[in-house]
Amino acid sequence: MVSQGLIVDQIITGLSIGGRLFLIAVGLSLIFGVLDVLNFAHGALFMIGAYVGVVAVQSLPGGFWIGLVAAAVGAGLVGVLIEIGAIRRVYDREELDQLLVTFAFVLILTDVVRFVFGTGQKTIEAPAVFRGSIQLTSSLTISTYRAFVIVVSVLTLAAIFLVLRTTNIGRLVRATSSDRDMAALMGVNVPRLYTLVFFVGAALAGLGGALAAPTLSITSSLGDQVIIRAFVIAVIGGLGSFGGAFVGAYLVGLTIAVGSLVVPGAGELIPFVAMIAVLLVKPEGLFGGVEA
Amino acid sequence: MSLLELTDVNGYYGNSHVLFDLDLAVDRNEVIALLGRNGAGKTTTLRTVTGTIPRRQGGLTFDGTDISHDSVDEISNRGIKLVPEERRVFPTLTVHENMQVARDMTSGTEPRPVEEMYEIFPVLDELRENRGRNLSGGEQQMLSVARALIQSPDLLLLDEPTEGLAPVIVDDLYDVLSEVVEQDVTVLITEQNVDFALDLAERAYIIDKGSNAWDGTVAELEQRADLLDEYLSVGAVE
Repeated sequence: MVSQGLIVDQIITGLSIGGRLFLIAVGLSLIFGVLDVLNFAHGALFMIGAYVGVVAVQSLPGGFWIGLVAAAVGAGLVGVLIEIGAIRRVYDREELDQLLVTFAFVLILTDVVRFVFGTGQKTIEAPAVFRGSIQLTSSLTISTYRAFVIVVSVLTLAAIFLVLRTTNIGRLVRATSSDRDMAALMGVNVPRLYTLVFFVGAALAGLGGALAAPTLSITSSLGDQVIIRAFVIAVIGGLGSFGGAFVGAYLVGLTIAVGSLVVPGAGELIPFVAMIAVLLVKPEGLFGGVEA
Repeated sequence: MSLLELTDVNGYYGNSHVLFDLDLAVDRNEVIALLGRNGAGKTTTLRTVTGTIPRRQGGLTFDGTDISHDSVDEISNRGIKLVPEERRVFPTLTVHENMQVARDMTSGTEPRPVEEMYEIFPVLDELRENRGRNLSGGEQQMLSVARALIQSPDLLLLDEPTEGLAPVIVDDLYDVLSEVVEQDVTVLITEQNVDFALDLAERAYIIDKGSNAWDGTVAELEQRADLLDEYLSVGAVE
């Protein structure tokens, strides 16, 4: 029999995995929701963010915090280059063309990073302030860093909702996402808005990468692993839905962690089964539709 | 000098040639009806002006400036605003948000206050927090017109504004539009409902199979039952 303490432990692990996954999935969802493009290169942008985090921590005092900002901005700028250089030219093509173009960038970015940093694994430690753990109850602790990641993911969701719901630019993004041709007819410079949204989505991936860096061993193929999970989450939650990405990420995090207790070794498998079930029963996702 | 001028315009959807050497001139503060059968090329003509047709050739000037190489948003920002046939209200935004977007995106001129639209369209006032997709066809049409008016257009393009609307709604819309055309705005309106268009307009163009068939004043057209029979084949003007 599995002990209660172990289950609670795994739930906390699941939540922290969920927090990390949300930061990946939310940018993917934002870009799909507004631009209608499935950005396969999103995982590679996450990987770039992780490497920026590594370089910052290894070369600067207080590098972790600078790394977070630099990872977001750096991945965002790479995203802008990809959008202006290539993806912008395939908006009117079919999904397969778009997917292939973004997939090409997965290969390119992975190779560039491998060329610069080599094939070895990189690891960094969380900053000293996060190295302890928090005592939740007498028998229950959570690592401070994991708690921090969960908090950041919740704050990110809140920030995205606030911007989309209460600001002029957020309203404009929602309008353009629901009818880009009409938005252009009303005077919206749609390509410029798309570039901005792509920057934000890519920056979220970079931020996620730098935040996850202290909990992962980082290689240039990191992006391949995370993009699949991000897709699973986005499909389960409903592509383009941020609330859906949030619930999907925590659901996947929890099933990975708790599922491994129930069926040892199968934790990683359960999210895929869940994705297939969602696709069969509710193809638009649990929170389907392209609403903020 | 005309406000809007199309000279020898040819339009294409992919390989199919749909507009042939079309000429059209709209003077400032004029109301022009663009008439013709379904498929004659009325909507395509408007799409030529807004820049949403995939390919066009020929002269296109607005206020003396060549706009034939402008993008859709650049044309819009010159003060040309379309109320499209399908209304195209933003479905996931509320009525109020639809108007706010229009206000925020107005450039080069002062937008009209959103509150003013609620006075012109009292029905929208009660629906402020309703989402676009939950409105009736008539309400969507009102919102679509309001959204265009907020942007203080110099040239208002109305594409089949009465299509699919109940007669009582058509009357409401007529009241609003007849007030609109009193103000200093230039209007180009396409309509299947010939009476509706001719009541508002001063001049008319008839197009047929993508080409000019006739143009002249509404007073002249009202004497020409033969034209209405030949090109519109709907109930002639009483």
